[in-house]
Amino acid sequence: MRTAARITSHALIAGAPVVLLGGLALAFGPEITAALDDRAVAAWRTVFTAIVIQGVPFLLLGTVVSAAISAFVPAWVFTRVLPRSPALAVPVAGAAGAVLPGCECASVPVASSLMRRGVAPAAALAFLLSAPAINPIVLVATYVAFPNSPWMVVARLVASLLTSVVMGWLWIRAGREEWLRLPKGPAGHTPGASRAEEFRLSLQHDFLHAGGFLVVGAAAAATFNVAVPHSVLRLFSDSPWLALPMLGVLAVVLAVCSEADAFVAASLSGFSPTARLAFMVVGPMVDLKLIALQSGTFGRAFAVRFSSATWVVAVVCSGLVGWWLL
Amino acid sequence: MKRNIQVLLLLFLGVGLLHISLLTDLYLRYVRPGLRPALIASGVLLIVLGAVSAARDGFPFNRPRTDGDGHGHGHGDGDGHGHGHAGGPKVAWLLYVPALTILFLAPPALGSYTASRDEAKAPRAPSSPGDSGDSLFPALPDTRVVPMTLNDFSARAVWDTDGTLEGHIVRLTGFVTPGRHGTWYVSRLVISCCAADAQVRKVRVHGAPAPPADAWVTVTGTWHPTGKVGTDGASPALDTTAVRRVPAPKDPYHDVVVRP
Repeated sequence: MRTAARITSHALIAGAPVVLLGGLALAFGPEITAALDDRAVAAWRTVFTAIVIQGVPFLLLGTVVSAAISAFVPAWVFTRVLPRSPALAVPVAGAAGAVLPGCECASVPVASSLMRRGVAPAAALAFLLSAPAINPIVLVATYVAFPNSPWMVVARLVASLLTSVVMGWLWIRAGREEWLRLPKGPAGHTPGASRAEEFRLSLQHDFLHAGGFLVVGAAAAATFNVAVPHSVLRLFSDSPWLALPMLGVLAVVLAVCSEADAFVAASLSGFSPTARLAFMVVGPMVDLKLIALQSGTFGRAFAVRFSSATWVVAVVCSGLVGWWLL
Repeated sequence: MKRNIQVLLLLFLGVGLLHISLLTDLYLRYVRPGLRPALIASGVLLIVLGAVSAARDGFPFNRPRTDGDGHGHGHGDGDGHGHGHAGGPKVAWLLYVPALTILFLAPPALGSYTASRDEAKAPRAPSSPGDSGDSLFPALPDTRVVPMTLNDFSARAVWDTDGTLEGHIVRLTGFVTPGRHGTWYVSRLVISCCAADAQVRKVRVHGAPAPPADAWVTVTGTWHPTGKVGTDGASPALDTTAVRRVPAPKDPYHDVVVRP
């Protein structure tokens, strides 16, 4: 009798959502189908595919660099190059972000392998934030997008670097080890094993792992992209104080790639330069794709806290730098 | 994810990338042309990685692992997040979706659905007005029909207070986007990185019935001034004398002058 009751209650609990969803589908089926007419679905599939295809080469570049760091670069290199004190290592690592060309997809695996090799998490995080925002390709794209205001390039460089360094210091001061699920996996060169084999395994593991989360992030970004037309951005252009945080929020859901952010920002002609700067600073540091990649690599507890703190710091820094330079 | 499934995924993804970038021009539906070398390189790298993995791990059946092999991976102390020695991350299954999509079900380029959801907006004026006077927009050539990009035409129609468009017959090429109440636009989507950042250029067409949505057309006609030029109130429009269907271009997002 007891087991029968238990089975019944389990069946009820499991069945309730099915019945609920089924009822909703029966009641609103035609409306839902009309709302999701096949052209919207086709646009979603195109945008989703575009984001994944655009991300794969950069993700692969990032995982190749990260696997090479794990397999071929001995740990002492980092302790030699970076200052011993984490507080000093943060700005050095932030400035080092300039050497990794590419989108934010590339920087997550590299930052994770730096942590595995014993680099202070604060320094690796500063690198993670600055790399997609201050590398030469992105700065050139910014210059092309804003041909008449070279100060925009300087402001983007300064604000992005400032945000990443502040976030690194903030992590030293307020960060807790338990939030950060330190990346597992091949932990470096084991004596006696083939380095090439280690490189291959680490590359394959990291790419497949991060690639799965890239797909999650691309799906979320594509949903917002199709559901929220870019013309929404122009609704907030009238109020200068609201424009700054609003463009910051929209950067999270609409920004896709740090190069393209500059062109999207340039097209927002109704906004103040400072608000556009905020869009370009927040975009490469906090966006849906990046949140998905970070929670995959470092854990959800970390991604939520880190992304929200980064968002606040980035908006404040762009406000200050914009007020100063633009 | 078993290792033989990982090999299969790497090969699918690699072949898919080569399929859209090397063998066909499908990649132009999703990303800018400049990304082609990166896509080809990624495809080759993934196929090489898959082939090496197939040779080392056994394919299609996993090779039984020897002791020394398992140790060398350094995976032994890293079973923390949901996958053991032999298995890869479960989340990687999701990568099968784009891999199979680009191989077998490549979605179409963005078109009138996206263009209809954004208002007709002209690009900004090319440079700061004032100092150089009327040199902002160079005069149009004195041929009978001037082929123009939608970008150039919309910029002149909205910002050109000197009226360089006046008295010229122009030809524009783009796809058809239906508007409200039987109106229609000749339109283009312009991307700077990938299809997710597409920006809309569209010109309202007067004086011709609407062709089917998403058909590519060349329209010939004269400028139809709408709103006060030089302000946000202006919008680009054309009085049309001829509409001709043309084949869809190879790169749908590249707003160029199309020669007949």
